[in-house]
Amino acid sequence: MNWKVLAAGALVIVPLIWILASGFGHDPHAIPTTTIGSPAADFALTSLEGDPVQLSKLRGKPVVLNFWSTWCGPCVGEHPLLQAAARQHPEVVFLGVLYGDEPGRARDYLKRAGSAYPTLVDESQRIVVDYGVAGVPETFFIAADGTIVEKVSGGLGQAQLLAALEKLK
Amino acid sequence: MIPTLGRALLFLGLGASAAGISAGVIAGWRRSSEAARWTRNLTYVSAAAFGLAALLMVYALLVHDFSVAYVADVGSTTTPAMISVVSLWSSLEGSMLFWAFIAAAYAGFFAWGTRHDDPARVGWSLAVQLFVLLFFALLVAGEATPFALIDPTPTEGPGPNPLLQNHILMAVHPPTLYLGYVGMAVPFAMAVAALATGKLDASWTRTMRSWSLFVWAFLTLGIVLGGWWSYEVLGWGGYWAWDPVENASLLPWLTFTAFLHSLIVAERRGRLGLLALVLVIASFLLTMLGTFMTRSGVFNSVHSFTQSPVGPVFLGFLALCLVGSVLLLAARMDALKIEIGPKPRSAELVSREAGFLLANLVLVVFSATVLLGTVYPLINQAITGEQVSVGGPYYETMTLPLIAGLLALMGIGPALPWGGASTPVLLRQLLPPTVIAIAVGAIAKVMGLDNSWVHLTLTLATFAAVVSFREIWAPIGAALRRSGEPAWRAPFTAMAASPRRMGAHIAHLGVVVMAISIGFSTAYKQEAELNIELGQSTEWNGYTIGFLGAERIDDPHRTSTRAKLAVFEGRHDLGELMPALNKYPRMSQSIGTPAVINRPSEDLYISAVRVASDQVSIRAYVQPLVSWVWLGGILVVLGGLVAAVPRLRRRREQEREA
Repeated sequence: MNWKVLAAGALVIVPLIWILASGFGHDPHAIPTTTIGSPAADFALTSLEGDPVQLSKLRGKPVVLNFWSTWCGPCVGEHPLLQAAARQHPEVVFLGVLYGDEPGRARDYLKRAGSAYPTLVDESQRIVVDYGVAGVPETFFIAADGTIVEKVSGGLGQAQLLAALEKLK
Repeated sequence: MIPTLGRALLFLGLGASAAGISAGVIAGWRRSSEAARWTRNLTYVSAAAFGLAALLMVYALLVHDFSVAYVADVGSTTTPAMISVVSLWSSLEGSMLFWAFIAAAYAGFFAWGTRHDDPARVGWSLAVQLFVLLFFALLVAGEATPFALIDPTPTEGPGPNPLLQNHILMAVHPPTLYLGYVGMAVPFAMAVAALATGKLDASWTRTMRSWSLFVWAFLTLGIVLGGWWSYEVLGWGGYWAWDPVENASLLPWLTFTAFLHSLIVAERRGRLGLLALVLVIASFLLTMLGTFMTRSGVFNSVHSFTQSPVGPVFLGFLALCLVGSVLLLAARMDALKIEIGPKPRSAELVSREAGFLLANLVLVVFSATVLLGTVYPLINQAITGEQVSVGGPYYETMTLPLIAGLLALMGIGPALPWGGASTPVLLRQLLPPTVIAIAVGAIAKVMGLDNSWVHLTLTLATFAAVVSFREIWAPIGAALRRSGEPAWRAPFTAMAASPRRMGAHIAHLGVVVMAISIGFSTAYKQEAELNIELGQSTEWNGYTIGFLGAERIDDPHRTSTRAKLAVFEGRHDLGELMPALNKYPRMSQSIGTPAVINRPSEDLYISAVRVASDQVSIRAYVQPLVSWVWLGGILVVLGGLVAAVPRLRRRREQEREA
């Protein structure tokens, strides 16, 4: 046994494997969410029906902000849940934001699938940048004081939605 | 039906591989020809099983059998047939199946090619190859199986990743890269067999060399095509981003290139030295590391698949290979009296051997530098818990001097004679290329070349090019003088007479071309974002670009919006360019297809940012000499293939004798 080779090998292997193993459990794709706990960025947009909506004017009421589109499967999947929740919680303001979709298509869809709250349109998609939206659906739960208390990326489940709404109280 | 048959084939391959390993070890241990024969036959069975499994998956993709999990994941009835075939390697499970298929095919060809060789050596080599295959086969048959049954059967799938649907190169780049990457197990297995049997002699070295050149040529081609694909498809105007996965292919390429050079020295000495063994083992381990990087989800990269359960399994296998290699080397080092390397006497400090040693050192340092940059984000996160990324500036600062050093050694090394040289010989060899290089450098300076790194690269590359031309010309000139045969045949006669020398220097010329074109295209790249109204035009960098209108094309699998642009250079009409934005269902972002005018002097590269009927926003790039990067790369590959020729001829001669 050549001990020099062995020692040199160990010197390379041990740190390398340790470092590689330390990478597990971190998602390198995760963008650090600075938004939870921080104030929600203000916006002033118009809804599909043409009504103006400004976030800062809603201060004092909790807000659920749901980014969605008609071509996104999980959005369509969570739509009935959100509609039901909006009807059960009149104290919470529910808002949809259309993401990468045409308003005409969204209007047709909502006519068919039902709509309990307004969906906002932002042609410039600035709101997408402000909220760091990486894809749809993404849902932000904004407390009455205007801070974001929860953010869910991907389709919402019933339990998840209820837990998030609890946090708004 | 297909899921069952597929899994049956995988289990057959798995069983044959496992049995083949046992037979191979017995053949190695007992030096038994009978066991070696069994190993070979089991290898053929395994190769056939994985080959059929891969074909079956292609068939399932073509007929859109959504009861197969992988087809349900990446298939779609709207996907064109060609892209359906390509989706075999578009996602984790399929690419692992493809990997197992290539590894099995390599083992099969190796078994056939070495059927007359020493049974012990062949036994060990096949056992190692089958062991690597077994690991992938276990993943493909178990954790990451693409043949899982989906019940009830969906009627439609999402289709493959849009990026993979966008360009014909996606059909070529992954298979070539895989052939290089997976094939690395062959020379590795041969090195292990040499260590295990103690036979480090010249005939094995020769066999190793021809396999290595083949594998190396594919790895090189895969990397070059990858850069080209990135350039033609991704729309950012570049071809190399120091992405972890690009690095993962470069790391073993560097060490393996060093290994090929150390093989030349080993063949002269008639024996493999420690350096060659360490380099070939390291190259294989780096491919395993690279595979881990792409498949584990630990690294952030365009190529990485999401966090997957195979990560820890992979790491375990990587650790096993590392530990096993080091133990084997440590155990056999003294028994086989393996030398660390040639110990040059003082007179030999300026010799071909010393040149090789130095070049290999630079290649290894290059590899280590890139490795450090690649894993640094992990090191930093492990220590400070913060996320950082290492980008272009680190790699450029660190590797530019190394590239310059390599260019210099590419010129000096081959100009030096073996075993040392006297001063007059050195002068005669080095003076002419030095003078020409300095002259070219000076002319370039006068003509306005103001970037000092590009200037240095150009000068050193010229130096290396002159030496390579001289080396290529010498046998051609000799052929011309000697036989008086027709001039057109002289290069071929020379090539057949000294293919290694020719091949090596063709490859060197390719590297020279690449170095110069990379230098110019990076340093003198121009870019701008331009907005053009309908019917208007704008002038930029000597080009006039007019917006003629937008058009929408509806394909079953995507919707493209193209901007029609008229491009003029002065009054010279360069034709129409149509950069497009493609929208795929279920993808939030549009994927661009850039439009490029390739010319030897420079490329005009335009990607669409926003296309509306009345206005277009484009990002335009001008990059001098960029087409030469691919041409240089292809020259490197050609050189490798030419250098692989003699072995084939020699084998034919051996067979004739036998």
